[in-house]
Amino acid sequence: MKVVKLNILLADDDTDDCLFFEEALIGFQISTHLTTVNDGEQLMQLLADEVNAQNNLPVLPDVLFLDINMPRKNGKECLAEIKLNNKLKYLPVIMFSTSYEKEVVDKLYKHGAHYFIRKPPEFLVFKKVIQQTIALIAQELTKNRSVNISQPKRDDFVLTVQNSLTST
Amino acid sequence: MIEQELSIVRQELYLQREENAKMELELINAKNELLFLREEKGKRAAELGIANIEFVYEDNEKGKRAAELSIANKELIFQNIEKEKRAAELSIANKELVFQNKEKENRAVELGIANKELAFQNEEKEKRAAELIIANKELAFQNEEKGKRAAELIIANKELLAFTYISSHDLQEPLRKIQTFATILLANETLSENGKYNFQRMQAAAGRMQQLIDDLLAFSRIATTELKFEKTDLKMIIEEVKAELKDTIQEKQAIIEASELGTANIIAFQFRQLMYNLISNALKFSNVNIPSRIIIKSSIVLGDKSISEKLSPKKNYCLITVKDNGIGFESHFSERIFEVFQKLHGKEVYGGTGIGLAIVKKIVENHNGIIIATSELNKGATFDVYFPADN
Repeated sequence: MKVVKLNILLADDDTDDCLFFEEALIGFQISTHLTTVNDGEQLMQLLADEVNAQNNLPVLPDVLFLDINMPRKNGKECLAEIKLNNKLKYLPVIMFSTSYEKEVVDKLYKHGAHYFIRKPPEFLVFKKVIQQTIALIAQELTKNRSVNISQPKRDDFVLTVQNSLTST
Repeated sequence: MIEQELSIVRQELYLQREENAKMELELINAKNELLFLREEKGKRAAELGIANIEFVYEDNEKGKRAAELSIANKELIFQNIEKEKRAAELSIANKELVFQNKEKENRAVELGIANKELAFQNEEKEKRAAELIIANKELAFQNEEKGKRAAELIIANKELLAFTYISSHDLQEPLRKIQTFATILLANETLSENGKYNFQRMQAAAGRMQQLIDDLLAFSRIATTELKFEKTDLKMIIEEVKAELKDTIQEKQAIIEASELGTANIIAFQFRQLMYNLISNALKFSNVNIPSRIIIKSSIVLGDKSISEKLSPKKNYCLITVKDNGIGFESHFSERIFEVFQKLHGKEVYGGTGIGLAIVKKIVENHNGIIIATSELNKGATFDVYFPADN
């Protein structure tokens, strides 16, 4: 059986958080391939390269985990650009942040982000959230068969360990 | 001798015949005269008749004239009486006029004084006008300065908000790392019990700092953001708060009654924060043995000075009450609890930063209102929020 690896792209400038993310994928039942970029410009460049290389192989990620606070270009700006780009707008984007502010989260939902996660301070919770989110996305991707998976309701937008449990 | 006497008698007869002829002539004359006189008398009688008629007529006329004259005399007497009255009045009027003239002279003198006064006042007025121009220039300058200060203040507030946001965010990140690494270390089974305990204490401290940052951020945003009032459904606010506190409500098996709620003119996001803080406090300070019951009501009331000096009896206020059945507090702390960083318990007993009610008070002030806390130990607490209904 061909193992289909889920392509995960992580955009985060924080070394520790990138380490946590990698560690969170250890022992995950779903097979994944993780690519990391460290700032917004790097991210958009990578995506542009991948879009242009599409005639060869589809190397666009299946899901993007996007940190809000990054140097050069932050997550909000990247999200806006991605969703305006016809070739990129179907990419499910999971927003990450250390802090939570209702106005910011509302804006992110309006701009088409798929889920929002406030980085939990407990590592095991962090691991669980990441794994459950990826599982959720994988499920939606296989269910829909098409590239375009719809945005969840605003009530389900913010993922915590509890509500991602109930969704799966 | 008889011849002589006859001659004498003939002479005498001749004389008498002459006499008689004369007398006949005289008689004829007299008769003619008499006729003439009779004619004349007739004429005279006719004339007299006419004259009499004339006379009677004139008599009548004279009678009429006399009557008229009598009336005229009465009229004249009346007129004379009137004339005397007029004369008397005129005399009084003259005396009055003399008096008025004296008064007029007095007034003229007074007017002269008043005019001098007025001239003086005008001089003073001109001096005041000059001073006023200077004062107005000063005021215009002050207003400019005030405008500049206001603009500077707006910029300062924006900078403060940005600074607060950035600093709180940048403070949170290393904090989170401390917490995360603590959890990674705690998952390590090779740690001794003591080692685990130490890391847990470290975790708790980091958690408190996290809460403090969240509260400070909330506090600064309440103080620096613009105040926009809009008509809001209070039920909706409570539903949102209940959703945010879903886990705690379930944990405490709390019942929140919020059926008697209407709409009010409020700053929605601030008011949500206020209700969140009050309700989360009610949940936090609930009685261990008694399931938490929180009742939230709203109504419109007239200001009552006996409740607070700041309530005007002529104004309508929106009153929102949050009542719980928790552990309450001693009534003499009813004002202290609203001060920043004031807590009534140690941090080991009940968590919290001591900022929650300070935020509530600030929000109430932003709504031009007041908040009153009433409680007794172990008898729950009631928070009454009053703010003008026409905000």
